Amino acid sequence: MIYFFDGSKDAFLTAFLLAFRDEHAFLTAGNCQLTLGQESVFVRADPEKARRCEARLSELDQGCMHDLDILLRSGEEDRGQIAYRYFRFIALRKRPVRGMLSEDAVIAASECMRRVTFEVHRFKGFVRFMESESGALYAPISPDNDISELLLPHFHGRIPDIPFVIHDVRRAKAAVWDGVHAFTAPLERAEIVLSADEEGWQALWRRYYASVNIPSRRRLKQMKGYMPVRYWKFMPEMPAAAIGDLPAKERTASPAECEDDAPRPRGSS
Amino acid sequence: MFDFSAGIWYNDGMIAESKLKILTESAKYDVSCSSSGSGRKNEGGIGNGLPDGCCHSFTPDGRCVSLLKLLMSNDCVFDCKYCMSRRSCDVPRASATPDEVCELTVDFYKRNYIEGLFLSSAVHKSPNYAMEQLVRTVKLLRTKYHFHGYVHLKGIPKADPELVTEAAKYADRMSYNVELPSESSLRLLAPQKSKESLLLPMRQLQREKAVFKAEKCKGFFLPAGQTTQMIIGASPERDGQILRLTESLYRVTGLKRVYYSSYIPVVEDSVLPAVQSPALREHRLYQADWLLRFYGFDVEELVPAEENLPLDLDPKCAWALRNMHLFPVEVNRAPLEILLRVPGIGAKSAQKILSARRYATLTFEHLKKMRVVLKRARHFITAGGKFYGSDSPSAVRGLLTAGEARVNARQLSLFDSPSSLGMPLRLEAARSALTGEL
Repeated sequence: MIYFFDGSKDAFLTAFLLAFRDEHAFLTAGNCQLTLGQESVFVRADPEKARRCEARLSELDQGCMHDLDILLRSGEEDRGQIAYRYFRFIALRKRPVRGMLSEDAVIAASECMRRVTFEVHRFKGFVRFMESESGALYAPISPDNDISELLLPHFHGRIPDIPFVIHDVRRAKAAVWDGVHAFTAPLERAEIVLSADEEGWQALWRRYYASVNIPSRRRLKQMKGYMPVRYWKFMPEMPAAAIGDLPAKERTASPAECEDDAPRPRGSS
Repeated sequence: MFDFSAGIWYNDGMIAESKLKILTESAKYDVSCSSSGSGRKNEGGIGNGLPDGCCHSFTPDGRCVSLLKLLMSNDCVFDCKYCMSRRSCDVPRASATPDEVCELTVDFYKRNYIEGLFLSSAVHKSPNYAMEQLVRTVKLLRTKYHFHGYVHLKGIPKADPELVTEAAKYADRMSYNVELPSESSLRLLAPQKSKESLLLPMRQLQREKAVFKAEKCKGFFLPAGQTTQMIIGASPERDGQILRLTESLYRVTGLKRVYYSSYIPVVEDSVLPAVQSPALREHRLYQADWLLRFYGFDVEELVPAEENLPLDLDPKCAWALRNMHLFPVEVNRAPLEILLRVPGIGAKSAQKILSARRYATLTFEHLKKMRVVLKRARHFITAGGKFYGSDSPSAVRGLLTAGEARVNARQLSLFDSPSSLGMPLRLEAARSALTGEL
């Protein structure tokens, strides 16, 4: 039987209760190809059932609801099934299982969680704010996983005096710190009037980025491994002028055109 | 001011782009990049420390941009042979004011471009003057701009001890670059620096930090400790000697990190070698460095004082091959310190194995699923009593070195020039000299 749920925690827990006795259950929050004769059911969140399920699972493993929160934020198609198999394993063993690292269900879940938390870590560095006329900061992002809410405490702790918006444009939602409250809200489009200095600082940043590079040591593969191309979209320093394999059009689009071919002064000795 | 050619508005307090370029290009060869080790809290104002550190961007050379790496000035009175900013070199000179540096830092930080500031300086006018400028800047940053992000300050050799203490109150990390692994090389290549001028302030800071901790004082005193940097291949010291110095810097002087940078010839000088030091040597030194810090190795086990590390094998593998009588070990029983000594098993894999084996007897199938890399490890472990490696050391050595880094090997010809031997003496390569200080 295939159990469709809307990706929310309560819907997952409701579906989990239904599917628990079903050996061949498949839980999915996304689309899934139905084969002929396969039964499916759409599970609506039932808060009362969900609470019951949550309480029971938390008895078995105190930290498991945190794991669930991370798993459901994953952008992977099979996150529902990964979470289902992980929680079913907890329920069968009646104890925390996260240390059982040789079990398939645990391996799949811990790798899935690691991909989410790793992206959070990356975005602590890759978020790029721009300053609006009012002084508030705005950063568009398009991460693989639904992590904008997880970024909130980090930036809130770091710039408590400045209101900011981290806008996940892919999921049309925003994590907001208004100076008093931190919250998330749906946000389709944002119109930003930039402050007078913003472009100047961006230009200085591009200059810095181009200057700190050592052109004779090109290691593009390494660079792209650390900072995948899909994240470049909202970074003012990208596309890097120094990167030769971009189309010429994009290369010249950046004012940080690399001048490192200019002759260098040599030492007098 | 409004730049009509670019159509960009520049605030009057902003540092000029040309100045930023000079001061960045003179600082970029310093290898140190980490922003870890400080948990400084936000006490009103902007910024905090992230104990794990954070990379904000990556440049096409594969290095990360974590801190804003900048010189206060590249106008130097010293004349270190290997350095591009040295007095006798004809390069454009520039100096920034403390306020320019502070504003740049805060505005970059606010936009999440950087994790903090890495501020260094040439010996501008005199060691004391240069150090005063650095201290004034970081003090201003902390008190006037209320910045609590990461600050790494470079120490200027021969500056007054009081200035050093003052700097440490405001910085998260400080570093004096040892530059060369022996006193004689230092005398030859950096005549104005001496061993004492580098080691004394390091020991002073170590002492003062210990006192600060013992007295449980408020505030911070170098929460992220000290680091240093050495140039590899500019002088004749062997890896064994270099690693002995490294070990004493870690265990006696209490440094957090030692960075190595391969020497690349920058100018023809009779006292400098004409050939580039292989990047692989630097890599092997870092591997050995990790073994000293995280894997419980002593330098005596890795390499004799007068020898280099082997290039064709990593140092742990080389050690294991010399000690085949200790292997294979059973992954289900071996204690952590032994697992860490198995080639191919790193700290993460060892922890995974330790955790997983509490619940099940591990087989090779399990290890594979857990993504423990078995290419090297299989020759040194048994899993559930099974062994899948080759047990003759020479066969293992052959298997593990084959196909590695031999691509450039070929017969020498009478007419080979150095450049055709994979030693391109490009201008930019030359410039990166030592990636050393300044």
